[in-house]
Amino acid sequence: MRTRFALIVSTLFLLIPVWALDSGGATATPSNVGSPYLISSPSPAPLGGGAVSALQSSNLLNPNISVVGWFQGEVGHPHDPGQTPEPVLQLKETEIGFQSIVDPYAKADFFLSFDREGAANLEEGYITWFHLPQDLALRTGKFRSFFGPFNRTHPHDTPFAIRPLSERNFLGEDGLSAAGAGLSWQVPIPWLFVNLDAEALRPPVVSDTPSFDRAERRDLLYTGRVNSYYDLTEQSNISFGGSYAYGPTGQQLNGIGTSSDTLHTQLYSADLTYRWKDPARAIYQSWLWQTVLLWSKHEIATNSTVNSRGLFSWVQYQFAQRWAAGGRYDYSQFPTDNNSHEYGGLVFLTYSPSEFSHLSLQGSHFKRSDEVDENIGYLRIVFNIGPHGAHPF
Amino acid sequence: MNVKKTIVLFVTVLLLPVLGWTKLQVVTTTEDLAAITREIGKDNVEVTSIAKGYQDPHFVDPKPSYLLRLKRADLLVVVGLELEVGWMPPLLQNARNSKILPGYPGFLDASDGCNVLQKPTGSVDRSLGDVHPLGNPHYWTDPENGRIIAQHVAAKLSEIDQPHASQYDAGLKDFEDKLSAKEKDWNKLVESFRGVKVVTYHNSWPNFAHAFGLTIVNHVEPKPGIPPSPSHVRSLETQIQREKIPLILVEPYFDEKLPAKIAADTGAKLLIFPPSVGGVKEIRNYFDLFDYDLKLLNDAVGGKK
Repeated sequence: MRTRFALIVSTLFLLIPVWALDSGGATATPSNVGSPYLISSPSPAPLGGGAVSALQSSNLLNPNISVVGWFQGEVGHPHDPGQTPEPVLQLKETEIGFQSIVDPYAKADFFLSFDREGAANLEEGYITWFHLPQDLALRTGKFRSFFGPFNRTHPHDTPFAIRPLSERNFLGEDGLSAAGAGLSWQVPIPWLFVNLDAEALRPPVVSDTPSFDRAERRDLLYTGRVNSYYDLTEQSNISFGGSYAYGPTGQQLNGIGTSSDTLHTQLYSADLTYRWKDPARAIYQSWLWQTVLLWSKHEIATNSTVNSRGLFSWVQYQFAQRWAAGGRYDYSQFPTDNNSHEYGGLVFLTYSPSEFSHLSLQGSHFKRSDEVDENIGYLRIVFNIGPHGAHPF
Repeated sequence: MNVKKTIVLFVTVLLLPVLGWTKLQVVTTTEDLAAITREIGKDNVEVTSIAKGYQDPHFVDPKPSYLLRLKRADLLVVVGLELEVGWMPPLLQNARNSKILPGYPGFLDASDGCNVLQKPTGSVDRSLGDVHPLGNPHYWTDPENGRIIAQHVAAKLSEIDQPHASQYDAGLKDFEDKLSAKEKDWNKLVESFRGVKVVTYHNSWPNFAHAFGLTIVNHVEPKPGIPPSPSHVRSLETQIQREKIPLILVEPYFDEKLPAKIAADTGAKLLIFPPSVGGVKEIRNYFDLFDYDLKLLNDAVGGKK
């Protein structure tokens, strides 16, 4: 399987330039591929006309830069076994994004994040060829996996002060992100949007993603996702999907200690999202409801598997131009333990002075796995500067 | 029925919509561009718009169902000037259709060559609200810009569908002749209220005001995209009363409660004023847009400015 996949990916890489040129057509003049219609940002053209200096000319080719700040305050007594309590006040995350068109065929995205101590981490850095033949797109680099509808979303882009329990317990505090390659294919059905994704990734370590742990250098983590979208009415629509991941989760030495077997985890996920928004009053009112189920088959020894599960379901109601409220229910077991679980919920009220800043009061109540009640209140402030990004959907 | 027949039937049903794709497939971002393209392309084109006329074109959800239309499009026509910057980039990136990418023959930015107003001359930042750094993107509300858009659409259709070029030229001539005749009527009509002062909800109307002689003195939004604060409303009411401003124009996609209260407090008249084809059901084409809006103005303040 590994060899075949490597062969397919290698062939795709070799053929990219040929396909991309071919798909553009012989008369294509891609003189404007840096247009804001390919990247969600203003064109850096000089304002008010006039000659473009040499310095400005070089600026035209610079990537778009955006910065997101996530400040968070907490009151209460955190009780999360195995986790260090977060500070009362913190700049939880700062993210710097660089995005640009690479050439007529590809776009690149880099996201550097800094934690509250200022430690830098390359959250994502990848190139995407969007316009391959047969409705294919190819992404390679380090990126957040398309496992489930939630994992791709950067934490500051979600409405929550803390990630859902099942996402944290199975995919990690920051979600499943790894180096690798992914193919995306839009199924050519004229009246229904269906997309298939397949990825091969370098497995993360267990301290980052509890479900997986790289064992041997050659081990890969495979994921697959199918998702579909359907307009129920002009106001309402549903998305539904299923995801699968298969990867190593450590090794077990055999009886005499001269060889070892790689243990594996299989993750399954199903999701459903319902949205409502009247286009004639789009800026004032909307509903969103999403539920994500997750099942895990985690090998803890040869011929010994722990089957565990988790879910979260949340609703958000935007009731005025700048106001939204919502709540989330969480339930989760653990990859290596299905005899204990934790559950609870979170409510939030968010005020957005503009599209570019959000202030949110949140409260959570969780019954932890050791039966201790945890109650925490949050003040969450997210703000960003830089080019106008795409509106969330 | 055997398996082979079942498969053939299934595939046929799946592909039925494709049978209707013999015409040139054009996708526009707004109904106004769609209406102009239909006038030029007539029976040779099938035109669909992503945003509806009763929808705020700044805020459109990038639904995956739009990808199905974009994927099979031969031509994409956009308003440009970053009007669609919040929703078009993810659609275009994921449409998997190289023909309609910027810079390729199937992409047309309708703002090219149009008279674009309010281009910022100094530095721009978000303290100015959701300002458009390339100029005010509501330029289609000037019929002379409609003429320029039509000329560009005709040239583009002829470029990508050369066998029908003469028909597109004829479509353009019909459009321009009709527009010229209509402009005479409209210019006659506006004489009775030329120079009238108005307050508008959003800064959507500089080109319309330029074309028909309205004087826009203020907006209900203190800055583009920023909801009105109580202090701004008080100041606006004072201005309306002091300057005896007779009209408040509100686009159909904004909540009219606050403008209605301002109108009631000040004695000004509130008009729900569509900026786009399809904004109300009576506006079915580009000419109807001006017929409808100018009649509203004439009925409200004609001869009473």
